[in-house]
Amino acid sequence: MSYQLPVVEAASLTKRFGDVAAVDGLSFALQQGTITGFLGPNGAGKTTTLRMLLGLAEPTSGRAAVFGERYALLQRPSHRVGATLESTDFHPGRSGRDHLRMLALAGEIERSRVEEVLRTVELEGAAGRRVKTYSLGMRQRLGLAAALLGDPELLILDEPANGLDPGGVRWLRDFLRAFAAGRRTVLISSHVLAEVAQTVDQVLIINRGRLVVESSLEDLTGRASASVRVRTPDRYTFADALGRAGIRFSTGGDDTLVAYRTSAEQVGDLAFAARVPIHELGVERSSLEEIFLGLTAEPVA
Amino acid sequence: MSRQFRAELLKIRSTRTTVGLVLGMVGLIVLFSLLPGLLSKTPELVTADDQRGLLGVGTFAGLFSALAGIMLVTSEYRYGTIRPTFLVTPARRRVLGAKLAAGALAGVAFGIAGGALGFGIGYACLAGRGIHYTLSVGQTTLLLAGTVAGTGLWAALGVGLGAIVRNQVGAIIGLLAWGFVVENLLFALVPDVGRLGAVHAQDALIGLTTKHLLHATPGALVLVAWATALAAAGTAIAVRSDVD
Repeated sequence: MSYQLPVVEAASLTKRFGDVAAVDGLSFALQQGTITGFLGPNGAGKTTTLRMLLGLAEPTSGRAAVFGERYALLQRPSHRVGATLESTDFHPGRSGRDHLRMLALAGEIERSRVEEVLRTVELEGAAGRRVKTYSLGMRQRLGLAAALLGDPELLILDEPANGLDPGGVRWLRDFLRAFAAGRRTVLISSHVLAEVAQTVDQVLIINRGRLVVESSLEDLTGRASASVRVRTPDRYTFADALGRAGIRFSTGGDDTLVAYRTSAEQVGDLAFAARVPIHELGVERSSLEEIFLGLTAEPVA
Repeated sequence: MSRQFRAELLKIRSTRTTVGLVLGMVGLIVLFSLLPGLLSKTPELVTADDQRGLLGVGTFAGLFSALAGIMLVTSEYRYGTIRPTFLVTPARRRVLGAKLAAGALAGVAFGIAGGALGFGIGYACLAGRGIHYTLSVGQTTLLLAGTVAGTGLWAALGVGLGAIVRNQVGAIIGLLAWGFVVENLLFALVPDVGRLGAVHAQDALIGLTTKHLLHATPGALVLVAWATALAAAGTAIAVRSDVD
């Protein structure tokens, strides 16, 4: 099966609560088979966007579509889209198995799927217990089980790694990788880039309801402004060359200089032109998390 | 039986809420049947209306049925299960329709249990004290059928109220304040208006002939109107409102 249409699409999507635009003219499209990280600080509008994509909230303007249609118009939606929005969406007094059974009934899903997804998320031992006895990690896995019930082609998960221990995060990563390997599509939100960096192919970063970055993870990493550390016996001449090229730098001990927002190529070429011997040259990238924080930093009032 | 309806029945069965409501109902009906049944003076238990009052204590099942209806909606909002519920069935009208049907079925079950219990205890009290049972077969049938039908309607009314208010505590307090305070005040002060209230319509439906009360048939229609109006309003609100 191949879709000409994007699997998930937002077009000028806007949601206002009174004077506040929680989501402000957001547009993006996700293609089949991708894993996309939907990132932004808490309150950036991620959950509101997902609620509109899933038909739980009505956009003020713009369009939110999955498989080319409004979610509400999908036939048997749980067979196409699996989603969790809150890790706490369970009646505490109901067993995990009954939670899944009631969704399977309403979603026209075979009863046998309940036990299958319980096995998938490794909850079969606790399925008969009431949810109030579950840890946060178990609730996350039960939520994932609910999303998987209809064997969907698209998974939309809001902060699925919250409350998972490192082993759980790794398990989730492997699971999502395997899921997407079958030409299926994943959209996961997080407020921590590092949490999803090893899982996703591409990122959408939003802040204050607006799209800040839409890029592949590779490009995002590449976009990291590199610092270049140089060791040279003639650092005064080289500092002069850097200054004339408009590159900011600082001096370190032992004949070293650190040039900011530049590349190894640019620094090497400058050194060649200035006839400065280079004894050592190293690139230092800022971490993904630093990029993320830089992109979503609140302007200082 | 539609799968949506079965899903709603499973929601009712799979928590302890329903058991709690049944136990509460049984306790209240036993108490409110035994107290007057054993302690009232004999002259207070001889007229048809006296006996309807005693044997009709089972109409308290309507209260618990309405609470069950309220819970069926508000606990979904309280615990957030409304999100997966609407994700699986984005046609919200179908969800509300299934809740109304499942609630009404549960309500009828409450009505049968509560009605039988109240009638049984009241009848045993009369028989034990040697008081002549004055209600005809027709009157007895109206008493019991009115209890069962009314209790089913109270569940639908509760589903509607729950969908309008959404907040569980708010909906329950609203129901209790209306049923036990506002409507009684209205009936005492402006009986022509008060008798159109749902509680007094239920009284009329079991055949009580208290002054100013409607007759059974208009009483039944008024209770149906209340249940329909609240169910329709609640459905309309649930369909239109964003889910957090």
